[in-house]
Parts: sequence; structure tokens; C-alpha cells
Amino acid sequence: MPELKFLMEYVINIGGLIAVATVVGLSMVVATKMQAIKKLQSDIADLKKSLDEMDEQAKLVVRTDIELNKTQEELDKKIGGLYALQRFSRVISTALEEEQIFRRMDSNHLEDLGFEKACALLYSEGQKTFSLKLTFGFEAEQIHGVKSFIDGHLNFFLDLIRREKTLSSISASIDTPAKDRLTHVFGVHSFIISPILPKEGDKGLLFVGTQNPDAFITEGEEEVITILANQLGQALENARLFEKTWRQHQDLEKKVEERTRELTAALEEVKKISQRKTDFISSVSHELRTPLTSIKGYASILLAGKLGQLPKDVYERLDKINRHSDELAHMVNDLLDISRIEAGRMTMKFEEQNLNHIVAAATDLLSVQAKEKQIELSTGLPAGANAVFADKSQIERVFINIIANAVKFTPPKGKIKIISHKTDNMVQVDITDTGCGIPQEAQELIFEEFYRVDNPINQEVKGTGLGLALVRHIIEAHKGKIWVKSKVGQGSTFSFTLPIERAAL
Amino acid sequence: MAISVGIGLSTDKDHLQAAKEAIRQARARLAKDKIDLALVFSSVEFAHPAVIKAIHSALGEIPVLGSTSLAVITNEGIFKHGLAVVLFNLPKGVTFSAALVKEIRAKTLPASGEELAVKLLRDIKDTYRDFALIFCDGLIRDASGLITGLQERLGKSFPLVGGLASDDLSFKRTYLYFNQGIFTDAAAGVLWAGRLHFGSGVKHGWRPLGKPRHITRSRENIVQEIDGQPAVKVYEEYFAETIEQLRKDLKRISVFYPLGIYLAGEKEYLLRNILSIEDDGSLAFQGDVAQGSLVRLMIGTKESCLEATYQAVQDVKRSLGNKKISLALVFDSASRYILLGRQAGRELDIIRQGLGEDTPVIGIYTYGEEAPLRELYYLGKTYFHNQTITILGIADQ
Repeated sequence: MPELKFLMEYVINIGGLIAVATVVGLSMVVATKMQAIKKLQSDIADLKKSLDEMDEQAKLVVRTDIELNKTQEELDKKIGGLYALQRFSRVISTALEEEQIFRRMDSNHLEDLGFEKACALLYSEGQKTFSLKLTFGFEAEQIHGVKSFIDGHLNFFLDLIRREKTLSSISASIDTPAKDRLTHVFGVHSFIISPILPKEGDKGLLFVGTQNPDAFITEGEEEVITILANQLGQALENARLFEKTWRQHQDLEKKVEERTRELTAALEEVKKISQRKTDFISSVSHELRTPLTSIKGYASILLAGKLGQLPKDVYERLDKINRHSDELAHMVNDLLDISRIEAGRMTMKFEEQNLNHIVAAATDLLSVQAKEKQIELSTGLPAGANAVFADKSQIERVFINIIANAVKFTPPKGKIKIISHKTDNMVQVDITDTGCGIPQEAQELIFEEFYRVDNPINQEVKGTGLGLALVRHIIEAHKGKIWVKSKVGQGSTFSFTLPIERAAL
Repeated sequence: MAISVGIGLSTDKDHLQAAKEAIRQARARLAKDKIDLALVFSSVEFAHPAVIKAIHSALGEIPVLGSTSLAVITNEGIFKHGLAVVLFNLPKGVTFSAALVKEIRAKTLPASGEELAVKLLRDIKDTYRDFALIFCDGLIRDASGLITGLQERLGKSFPLVGGLASDDLSFKRTYLYFNQGIFTDAAAGVLWAGRLHFGSGVKHGWRPLGKPRHITRSRENIVQEIDGQPAVKVYEEYFAETIEQLRKDLKRISVFYPLGIYLAGEKEYLLRNILSIEDDGSLAFQGDVAQGSLVRLMIGTKESCLEATYQAVQDVKRSLGNKKISLALVFDSASRYILLGRQAGRELDIIRQGLGEDTPVIGIYTYGEEAPLRELYYLGKTYFHNQTITILGIADQ
């Protein structure tokens, strides 16, 4: 079977060849794959490397970012603090009352500063104790605890005021005796206490705190709270000053009111007395008139010689009695008129009058006396009818009185001039003389009853001191005014006003 | 007939006066006699039984729901201290049910979620159900659990929108309002059915930073290992700080640099705030983080944050097909309030500009938000979020 053997060898050889070829082929494939894998592996390594590098960069980013966030947070806090401070100052600086200052403080503003708890204390020197003026964020029980803690550590708190020092949970040294108990009693994690120091009156303390364990007090916050406490002090000072001023003002007003009341009472009294005086004068004048009339009557009869010729010296004395009784009658009449006008009993007959006629009548009456002293008596009334609304006979008395005075006090060869002009719905009459004049201090007084200017003429010439008083009463009854302008040695101008129409009355 | 809404707000320091004033305003703006539902939001100092009792008795026997917040948001502004009331007058064909679950920590959150769903469904069995509004205590540790529980009964893709109550950032106690009472350790909800449209937008604006990492070991909200190492190591490396230093700075780090979970198909990552660092190096988050997830460290800026607000507004408008919005409910993360600082008001400006000045807006700051990841009618699944602004728009048919 050599063929078979040969065939088998042949097959084996072929198979071996194929096997070898396959092995060689596979080896080549594996080699290629290996190369690809190697490449991939190196790619992955590269990727991993850059990923790791990126991660390192990420770490840097994160660390920078967290720092940035912290800074930003602090900045935000500071800006917020400043805003809150500004709002605080705005509300408290315009408060005018001590209580109002504390009432106006808002817990929201405080929260913007990062504190949810606060209280303000004022120490009363009189009562030797602190009183709570304001509390934010405390529960009722806690307030009680706070109050008794403060009472128990009076010296500690007073010392802060005395040393004008702000204390906080960071600046307080660990051995500050009250620190731990303070945070416990006030129920806070961190706190700031700053003195409120107005220049006058009760001083105090401002406490702020937070329960937030993450909040850390910074120096900046200490400063902000110190400024706030300062502003509180300032506001208190202002309010106290205002209160003081206001109280003084109130006192003053009260006093003015009291005085006014006293004066009103006095005035009433004066009025009463004046009334009594008027009544008295009126009744006395009446009583005087009757005997006076009979004295005058008898004197006239005697002087007329109806009861026989009188010896010369009797006649002279009787003539004096007659003249003096005339004067007395005059005086009594004037007095009666004044009291009547004052009491409103004088009935005036107001009618439309022509001022020209009245002036003419008066000057006519007095022209003889003026001529005797060579006094030039002239009038300068506007042309045409000058209407006034007045009682004719009373206004005649006014003119006669004033012109007679002028004649009396004007030296010989002097001048008297009467003029008038319209002002609104009144007529103003000015009677000017070149007489001796009236001293400044007497100008007001001459219109009072029984006042007589002290001058040589008055010492010589007799007068009652009632004439100008009567004139004033008459003018006032016409709702007019009377006044005088005068210079001693140069002359006087008497002016008065009278209504033109009934409406002015 | 259309839905009518009236919002009232008061910042009166006398809390009872504030409640009266807010109701008076809301009534005047509602201009309808019939009131069907009231929402109450306030800063934490208003959370007093007397206040909610006064509100409830003033409005009569109608459901009242709400929560406390770091600040109250309305058209008029952001109020750190205040109380807002929203009154609803609903058209025919719109029904709702309201419910509360207490002691949610003891019951566990998934169980509480189920209980809340059961209670809500009891009154609304037969009608077609649209949507649920959810409020919850803000200091719970596994907020995703509540959603899981709700989804168990309402359906996996049932749309839920809501937020976790907040306080004044002291993280001491948050409150819910429900009818005549105030509650902590509770969850409440309103289930809606009928002819209303709901649209939501949820965005945060944080961007991924550094290399992607894998969650190699986690259970619910606790992440034990990332890339095979104790979870805290990631943060230690990035911030070059020890555990102690990290703990001290945790609130800031958690808010500014949350963990982002990659979600395929979504533009934004799902964010998680760290609640605490455990001694074994695990990190406890507020919501769950599934094992195997791809995560990255996230970073946000004021600009990116405000851009997200703009996007959220656009999403709401788009999802409602530009219908007229009767009320916009805003659940705004307290983290954003912290990040934006003095610019917090700009978010409200963007919302008002986007929705129109006359659209009623009411909102709260939250310690976590619940919202579907895609627009509502996409049947998107609801997730628990951190750091987002979640806006819910309610519109008529």
C-alpha cells in the first residue's frame, strides 16, 4: 500500500503546509491587532491624562470660585449693612420724641445687618436701673431673663458705658466674666454691644445678636453697630433738646395765657370803674345844674339892677360870680355830654351835611376873637359841596372847640388854616395853627379828660380840660379818628376824619 | 366659566391683622363670592395655630393648604416677613381633593407617600386625574422616598409638582398649613381633576466641572463610594480640605457645588445637596443617588442661574401652548436665594417679564423641589430636585 502511504504523507504535508500558513497568517493578524490595541491604549492613556489634567484645572477653578464667593458674600454683607445703616439713620434722625426713636426702628433693617435679635437699654441715674426701650426677636420669657441678667450684672454693663467701648463675641476675651452666660441668656451665638452716649441725660446700650452659628462677627460689623449706636445717641440728644425747647415753649404759652387772663380781668374792672365814674359824673352834673341855674339867675337879676343899684365893689364881685357860674355851667354841660356819649345815651342826628356850611358857621363865630389878636383865619376846602354824614350841631362843637383852642394858643399875627380832602369814604379835616405847639409827650394825652398841657398860656387862660375830650368822643361816635401833629414853637395841626356816607357808620 | 384667582399679602407685624388684611385683599382681587380652595404661604414667624385658625374661620369650611418659607414671593416683590393668601374660584368640571399625612419620618417617606396618594384618591376615584401639588416638611432626609411612594399609587409617570417648606435658613423647623392646623413632620397634597391645564418648567443653571465619576456603592440617599473610594474623597480632593474643614464649610459647599447626576437625554444634570458627611466618609444627600450613576461636581454662577430662570419660564409657556396663565406657582430653591444674594429680586423680574406683568404670581423658597423632568404632557417622570426654580403654570381649557 505504498500509494496509500504516499497519499497520506502527501495529505500530511499539505495539511502541515496549510497549518503553517494559517499559523503564519494568524500571527500576522494578531500582530496587527496588537499594534492597534497598543495605539488605542496609548490614546486612552492620553485621554485619561488630559482628563486628569482637566480635573486638576477644575480643582483650581473650584478653589478660586469658593474664595470668590466668600469675598462676594462679605461684600454683599457690607453693602447691605451700609444700606441698612442709612435707612436706620434716616428714620431715627427725624424722630422728635425719645420713645419715637425706638418705635421707628424696624426689625427688617436690623436683619439686613445680619442680626435677628436686638435690644436697647437706657440707664436711669435716678432709679439706678436699666430699662428696656426696645426688643426684637426675643420671646416674652427670654426678655424677663435678659432683664434680670442685666440687673444682676449692673457693673459689667455700666462699665461698658463708662469706658465708651463696643464689645462683641469676638473682641470679648474668654475670661470676660459674663460672656458665656450672656450668650446663653440672650439666646444668641454671636453678639455686639455698643454704648449709646447722648451728651445729656440717660445713657444706654445697644445689643444686637444672631442665633446663626455660621455667622461670624467681623470688625466691619462692629464698626457699623458702633456707628448705629452713635446715631442713636445723637438722635436721643436731639429729641431731648427738642423736648426741652418744646416744654419751655409750652410754659411760655401758659404764662402768656395767664397774663392775658389777668389783664382781661383788670380791663373788665377798669371798664366797671369807668362806668361808675361816668354814672357819677352824670348824676353829679345833673345835681349841680339846678343850683347853678338859680345862682346864675339871681346873679343876672342883681347885675341888671332890677333890685336897685349895686355899689361898685359889690357889682364887680357879683360879675365874677356870674362869669364863674357861666364857666361852671359850661363845664357841667361838657361833662354831661361826655358821659352821655360814653354811656351811649347821646342821640346823634346823623344826616348828610355840607361841610362848607359847618366850617363857615364856626369861623363866623370865632372871627371876632381872631381879629382881636390879628390872626388870619382862612379856609381851603375843595370847591363845591363837601358832603359829610354827621350830626350838625355836634360837629359844629368840634370845629368851635378846635378853632377856639387855636386862637387861644396862637400868638398875635399868627395864622389858622382849615383844609379838607377825601380819603376812601371819609373826609379828613386839618386845622393848622402857628401857635406855641404841644410837646411830644403830651400829644396823646390832650384828648383825655381834665388834661391840660403845662404852658404859660394855660396858666393864664382858664380852661376845663374837657374840650378836646368831648371832641374826641364826638368824632369817635362818628366812627372817625382824631390826632394831632405838633412841634413846640412852630404850631400844631389837628386832624380828624368824618364819614361821607351812612355806610361808614 | 374660567378659573379665578385672588392673591393677598400683608407684612403687618400683628399676625392676626396680617391674616385679615391678606384675606381682605385676596377677596377683593378674586371678586367672586364662592371660594373653593385657599393656599397660604408665610415667613416662619407667622406659623402659629391662632393665625391659621383665624384664616380658616374667616374663609369658612374650605380646604386650606400651604407652608412656611424663607420669604414670600408675589407679583409685588419678595418679602422676608409676610403672609400671602391665594383664593381659588374653580369653574364647573374641575374637582380636587386635599389631604395630609402626619409623622412621616416614623412611617418612612415611601409609606407616607403611599398614604398621601391613597387619601387623595379616595375623593377622586372615577374622574380623569391630571396632576398633584405636593407640600412637605423641609427638613426630611430622603425626599425622593415621598415621590416613590406617591408614584406607587398614582402611577410612575403621574405628574407631581411641589416643594419642601423652608424656614429662615436656620434649618430648625419648617411648617405646613392644613385646614385648621400647622404641622411639622408632615406632607400634604392637592390632587386635581378636570378641565384645567398644568404646565411646568424646572431648571437650575449649574454646569458640570471636572471629570465624570461613577457611584460605585450607594443606598437610597447615602453614597458610600465614588470610583471605589469613600465618597467624601471627591470633595476632599477638589477643595483640598480635611473632613473637619469640609463639615465646617458644608452649607456653602453644598449650595455652591452640589453633586450632579447625569441623566441621558436631559439637558441639565439632576442636582443633589449634601446634608452631612458621615464618619466612614459616606455622603448623605437630600435625595436618592442610584448606584452606577455617572456624577460630576457642579458649579453655578449668578448669570447661569438667572439664565435658567428664563429657560424655566419659557418651558412653562411652551408646555401650556401659550395659553393665558391664570396663576404661576413658583418653588424657588433657597440655595438660589443664597447664591444670588442682593440680586435675588431679578428672578422675579424675569418671571414677570416672561409671563406678563398681569399674570398672578405666588411663590415660596424651598429646601427641595418636586417636578417632572420633561414637560407634563410628555408623561415625564417626576424627580426630586435641588437648586432649581420650578414654576407651575395653571391655565384654563
